[in-house]
Order: sequence, then C-alpha cells, then structure tokens
Amino acid sequence: METWKEFEANELTHSAAHHLLAIYEVGLEYGGWARVSDIARELNITRGSVSINLRALKKRGWVETDEHHMVKLSPKGQKAAQAVMAKKAVVKTFLSSVLNVPELQAEIDSCKVEHLISQPTGEQLVHFMRFLVSGDPLAKQVLARFKNFHDQCPESKTCEVCHGHCLIEELQHAGL
Amino acid sequence: MKTDRTEVVEDLNRLMAEELEAFLRYFQMRYRLRGVDRLAADKLFEEGTRETLEHAEAIAKQIRALGHVPQLKIELELRGGRTNLQEALAEMLEVERQALDAYKEVLPRVTGDTMLEDFIRKQISVETEHVQEIATLLE
Ligand SMILES: [Zn+2]
Repeated sequence: METWKEFEANELTHSAAHHLLAIYEVGLEYGGWARVSDIARELNITRGSVSINLRALKKRGWVETDEHHMVKLSPKGQKAAQAVMAKKAVVKTFLSSVLNVPELQAEIDSCKVEHLISQPTGEQLVHFMRFLVSGDPLAKQVLARFKNFHDQCPESKTCEVCHGHCLIEELQHAGL
Repeated sequence: MKTDRTEVVEDLNRLMAEELEAFLRYFQMRYRLRGVDRLAADKLFEEGTRETLEHAEAIAKQIRALGHVPQLKIELELRGGRTNLQEALAEMLEVERQALDAYKEVLPRVTGDTMLEDFIRKQISVETEHVQEIATLLE
C-alpha cells in the first residue's frame, strides 16, 4: 500500500481545509459571507495569500464570490467543511475521552488528521465511542479499567502488541 | 490626534508582509511563464518585483521612524507550475487589489498623523493606478 502517495492526490489539502473552516467561522456572523481581510486575520496569513488560495478553491467549486469580493462556501464547500469539523471532533473526543490524551495535545493531533481520515474510520470511531457510553456494564468497566491500567513493558521487549519492536520505545525517539 | 503607535506599527508590519509576499510571488512568476508569454510578461513581473520591494522598504523606513524594528511573519509556499499570461495577470491583479484594500483599511487609523497619512495616501494612489493598469491588460 502506498497510501503516502495519495497525500498529493488528496483533494482537500490541510491548507484548503483550514481556509474552508475560516470562511465558515468568519461567515457565521454575516449570513455565511466573509471578507478576505477577516479570513486572513483568522488564518494569520496575508490577504494576498488568501486571495490566491481562494482562486483555487473557487475553481474546485468549494467557494463562491460576489461582485464586492465577498466570499461564501458553496453547498459543496459547506459539506466539505462540515465533514472536516466532524472528523476533527470525533478524533479529538476519542483522543481525550477514551485514550486520556491531554486536551491540548488532542486538539493539535486531531487538527493534523481532520482532513485525512476516511469516512468509514470516522464513523467507526463514533460507533465505538457510542458503545463505550452505551450503558453496557462491560463497556463501562473497560473505560474505568483502562483509566487505572498501569502498563509495564516486559523486559524481553516482546508483547502481543509490539512483536519484537518495543513501539513505546520507538515512539519515544520521536520526542528526542 | 495621537495615534496608538503599537497598533499602527502592527498595521505597517502587515502591509510590509503583503508587499514582500507579492515580491516573492512575482519573482517566481517570471519563471512560471514560457515562450511568447514569457517575453510579454517578463518585464511586467520584473517591474512588479522592483516595485513591491521598494514599497516594502518604504514601509520598513516608516516603522523605523516610529522607533520600531520591522517584524516580518510570512508563511508562504510557492508551488505553482507553468502558467499562461492570462492566469499570471489574474493572479497579479488579485494580489495588487488586496494590497490596495489593505492600505485603504489602514488609512482611517493614521488620519491626523501627517507623515503616515501622506505615506498611506500616496501608496493608495500608486496601487490604484497599478490595479487599473493590470485590469486594462486583462480586458
Ligand atoms: Zn488542521
């Protein structure tokens, strides 16, 4: 599988996703319409950059502009923005509520993958979390037990998860 | 009228970033065009790089005159490939229009401060002319 190659082909880049989100955010107060200057401020980039990036988004049919250069999400752009927000929300909830990742880190990591994870993965995450809060006594126990689970890697570095490479150890290299 | 200097300096820093980004865009643009398009556009975009750099410098001097050091924050990745003259001019028009709007937005905040007001007004007139010129080329 050469999934990484799909990054280039991925229709919605991270930058494009954030432009859509910014238009959505800024537009909330003005019936969906946003000014380039406000989008630039929201994204903390220049107006020149925003206007050039908007040209690309317009070509793809994600945004519409009027004669006063005001910007609005198209129905297609609106859906794309909502999908990104939903994916971010579900990943963030999973990271913080299930995996107990600190809030700030959960925010950062969910931002990084919000435009990349697939719809089935997002949906399964929702189902999984719904299961956890479903009232099923086992689900409750799983959550509670995980919270108090003090993991100790075996001396041998092999376990059912890592198969000979201690993944925890290798992950720690990333923080070097 | 006494203007809030910190805010004005921030405005000027933002204007400088617009100009310097435009400079970098035009710089790359000269190499995105090919063939006859390149011949027609090279002079125009070279002029663009010269002007934007001059404007950035003029802004930096204004910031220095206010007793500050220019601060630059740009996040720019220029990955555009080959393009044609029409596209290139449309991009230039977009960038120039934004620069013009940015100057216009700052004007009310420097009104009463003779030196800065004169400077911003002069920039608005230069940029207005520039926008009109490019728009004419695209007609
Ligand atoms: Zn993000």
